[in-house]
Amino acid sequence: MKRLLENEKVLATALLAPGVTILVVFIAYPFLMALWFSLTSISVGDPGEFVGLDNFQRALEDTIFQTAFKNTVFYTFWATIFKLALGMWLALLLNRHFRFKRVVRASMLLPFIVPTVLSAWAWRWMFDPTFSVMNWSLFHLGLIEDRLPFLSSGDWAMWCAVVVNTWRGMPFFAITLLAGLQTISTELQEAAALDGANAWHRFWHVTWPLLLPVTLVVVVFSIIQTFSDFQLIYVLTGGGPANSTHLIATYAYQVGVNSGLLGEGAALSLFMFPVLFAVVWVQLRYLKRMDVR
Amino acid sequence: MKRRKFLKAAGAGVATSGLAGILATHRAPVFAQANTVHILRWNDFVPAADKVLREVFAPEVAKALGIKLNVETVNANDLPARATAAIQSGSGPDIIMLLNNLPHLYSSASVDVSSLAEEVGKAQGGIYDPSQKLNKVGGKWVSMPWSIVPALISYRESWFKEVGAKEFPKTWKEYHEIGKKLKAAKRPIGQTLGNTFGDAPTFTYPLLWSYGGQEVDAKGKVTINSKETIESLAFMQQFWKDAHDEGGLAWDDSNNNRAFLSGDISATLNGASIYVAALNGADKFKTEKGAPLHTDIRHAPLPTGPKGQHAYHTAFNHMVMKYSKNAKGAIEFLRWAHKKENYDKWFVVQKGFATGPTSVWEDHPMWKQDAVMLPFKSAPTMQTRLMGYAGQPDKRAAEAWNKYIVTVMYANVAGGKMKPEESAKWAASELGRIYR
Amino acid sequence: MLIERKWKKWVFFYVPMAFFIVFTLFPFYWMAVTAFRPDSELYHTWRQPNATPFWTLDPTLEHLHGLLRTTAFPNWLWNTMLIAIVSTVISLICGMFAGYALARLKFRGSEFLGTGIFITYLVPQTLLFIPLADIVRGMQLGNTPWALILTYPTFLIPFCTWLLMGYFKTIPKELEECARIDGATRFGAMVRIIFPVAVPGILSAGIFAFTLSWNEFIYALIFMSSAELKTVPVGVISELVRGDIFFWGQLMMGALLGSIPVAIVYSFFVEYYVTGLTGSVKG
Repeated sequence: MKRLLENEKVLATALLAPGVTILVVFIAYPFLMALWFSLTSISVGDPGEFVGLDNFQRALEDTIFQTAFKNTVFYTFWATIFKLALGMWLALLLNRHFRFKRVVRASMLLPFIVPTVLSAWAWRWMFDPTFSVMNWSLFHLGLIEDRLPFLSSGDWAMWCAVVVNTWRGMPFFAITLLAGLQTISTELQEAAALDGANAWHRFWHVTWPLLLPVTLVVVVFSIIQTFSDFQLIYVLTGGGPANSTHLIATYAYQVGVNSGLLGEGAALSLFMFPVLFAVVWVQLRYLKRMDVR
Repeated sequence: MKRRKFLKAAGAGVATSGLAGILATHRAPVFAQANTVHILRWNDFVPAADKVLREVFAPEVAKALGIKLNVETVNANDLPARATAAIQSGSGPDIIMLLNNLPHLYSSASVDVSSLAEEVGKAQGGIYDPSQKLNKVGGKWVSMPWSIVPALISYRESWFKEVGAKEFPKTWKEYHEIGKKLKAAKRPIGQTLGNTFGDAPTFTYPLLWSYGGQEVDAKGKVTINSKETIESLAFMQQFWKDAHDEGGLAWDDSNNNRAFLSGDISATLNGASIYVAALNGADKFKTEKGAPLHTDIRHAPLPTGPKGQHAYHTAFNHMVMKYSKNAKGAIEFLRWAHKKENYDKWFVVQKGFATGPTSVWEDHPMWKQDAVMLPFKSAPTMQTRLMGYAGQPDKRAAEAWNKYIVTVMYANVAGGKMKPEESAKWAASELGRIYR
Repeated sequence: MLIERKWKKWVFFYVPMAFFIVFTLFPFYWMAVTAFRPDSELYHTWRQPNATPFWTLDPTLEHLHGLLRTTAFPNWLWNTMLIAIVSTVISLICGMFAGYALARLKFRGSEFLGTGIFITYLVPQTLLFIPLADIVRGMQLGNTPWALILTYPTFLIPFCTWLLMGYFKTIPKELEECARIDGATRFGAMVRIIFPVAVPGILSAGIFAFTLSWNEFIYALIFMSSAELKTVPVGVISELVRGDIFFWGQLMMGALLGSIPVAIVYSFFVEYYVTGLTGSVKG
């Protein structure tokens, strides 16, 4: 046994076996089934017939899908930028020594810990057209005359979703970037300071390049999660008002499950794939380059 | 040391399915002996009704028929997901509650319950016509109607009186005038135009019909882009701005309840749950004068349009699933539950929020107890049309319903996103993709 | 040591820090206030002058009692913990092994497998849950915790593998080579040398996997039907979001209670994780 495991190939197979088995049984096989669904007119209880790329064609012509696609890109783009910027800023702040450092660091993670559906309900209550605490505050501070249409206007609602997603995801960025920051020795920073660089310079020319690998990992992961996000919009707006805040995942769900059109729903979901694949591919190429170096 | 852990992990993979298998088989014999019926329903808006199912029906049907009733309730929005997964995987609850015309969507997964339906219909004065159409596919009953939740307008009588409406407005035009005055007094009408299954389509579909609009004609040709539809859209656009709480675009089925109970709106289309909540919380919900809120609440049907008065009431139906291993027990349970003396217990706890599927329940003495609830008694008889009018309430109508096409058509103009003509055109193209 | 002037400290540290704290924690404060607020105070609209949205005049424990007595909340907490811990352990082990194999061992098809594992991460659960329902039923795992314990790794393993693979790559090969020269087996070297060095990475993967499990909704909704077997997100949403009137107080209480145990666990690991990373590099 011992000698067998010395062989790289055998060891590799043994190590990969458990993970790959689970993935094959519970992802690869269902995925192929879902792929098959997307090529048929299957609906609940009715296997339908093969229709080729018909479902994909219909999706491209669907105005609601076009909106959903645009929304998903908008949502992912802005949320990622905010999460990165704010996460980085927060990481820099948390990197210093101050009283209650431990408590603050731990508490910053809370938005990330609480299940999305639950915190989304809390936010929904805070944005509620009739009971919003924010409207109450702004009104009583004299800053607004009429309430802000947080979730009742399509544009506002998308921005609200971005805010909630940023709130949720920023801690993850912050903590991971913080860990990365801690590996950058302070001597480098001091050397740069002695050379006359100010804080911004130090950040941009010393810190940022060294953090790039960690940043890339976190950003890619976040893009994947955000692009395929479902729970947040489902709870916050349900895709409304007037189907204007649908994301690809929520619209696919509405078509596939609520209307029973499984084939069309599967096709809609699969549109996420090319984008995510491209993102992952870029990251893989980068990892490979790091390897060679 | 670590190798053992590794081997354990690998072995665990085998052990889990084995273990689960053992657990499963260990359970199976125990349940096979009992006559179990697993029913999946929504979280009733009247929580006491779910209690009746669990604490009254379950023990009593066990005694009477030896059936072990397993009641599971989930959020109504999650019912389609559970039903889909159950049907596709071929196992799940024996009875699933389906709203509106979902039975048409899932008809191929159903057990024929025609004998049950006809029996109950005959014994109880006939099942309401809309429920018949919703539950029958190809002449056979694919599901059994259970109840109907009528939607009427709950309104603050004193506030309406203050702006000159001695009784509830009879036409949309009158309602618009009164609404203008109410909104000026910071007491607007509240209506949801969001993607929500209860209060939105029950408003928009009747509005469309009362102006003479329709989704398709009897042959299935899309006719929604018509003069009548555009007229109703133009009306809604003005009506919304002049008289409504404009936050309604983001409301779900609960926002209007909360807004009404907190005195923020003066009228809203809803089931009886607002009044029932006010009754149950008489000390919590008060008018601005300090009286219990429920003393100021009245109910009225939707106003009449140029082409008539219409209503849509949410239908709740039970489907016995084909994959069920105890379809016989399930049908027996339903037969038992529909018996007058049993259904009665569920019916009275609803206090009128839900009516029975047959006309016999209109004669129940409960209606005499509270005059405020009287309009709900015969509300189901006022419904003459269903989604997909003037065609059938079939799969295509269900798809249109679930995509909120009609509701969104109105939301587009209310939110100022589109002009009436544009929105009608949009709705026509969306329906066209469904009714191709 | 970089010395700063006092005003700089205020502008560049205290003010931004305060903003972050408020932004991050205000919703929790809000949830807490709502959880202890009696229902009679709940429906105060935005125009109401004498409302007190930021604190409650009459705190009550009725929601706590309601939650613990009328719902199966303690069961949900237990279920979610159990499922999260077991699936995290399974996924970490698979991820550690797979990550090591892909990062360190040369064998044919390693690139293909690596890419394959990443691809599975991209498949959304809203697409998979229907075919999965079939498989879960086929294995007779429906309505048991095993349905989730075995399906959660599907989105946890790819992430763990990916993160740990990158991590292992940064560890110098010399460490293993030294160990093997000293007579250790490949497997032994992996377990006794590499894994301990990689603890910060393993911890962060574990923390993250745990959070993802805790947060999952749709599989838990579909595969678990008995009230006592549900997880916290599904239980709270399905029992407390009832149509017309939500039980806001209990809902928020459930949200808070559902997060506190995890937060406590986190507070230990975060510090270890952050300082552990520093330590490993310095050493």
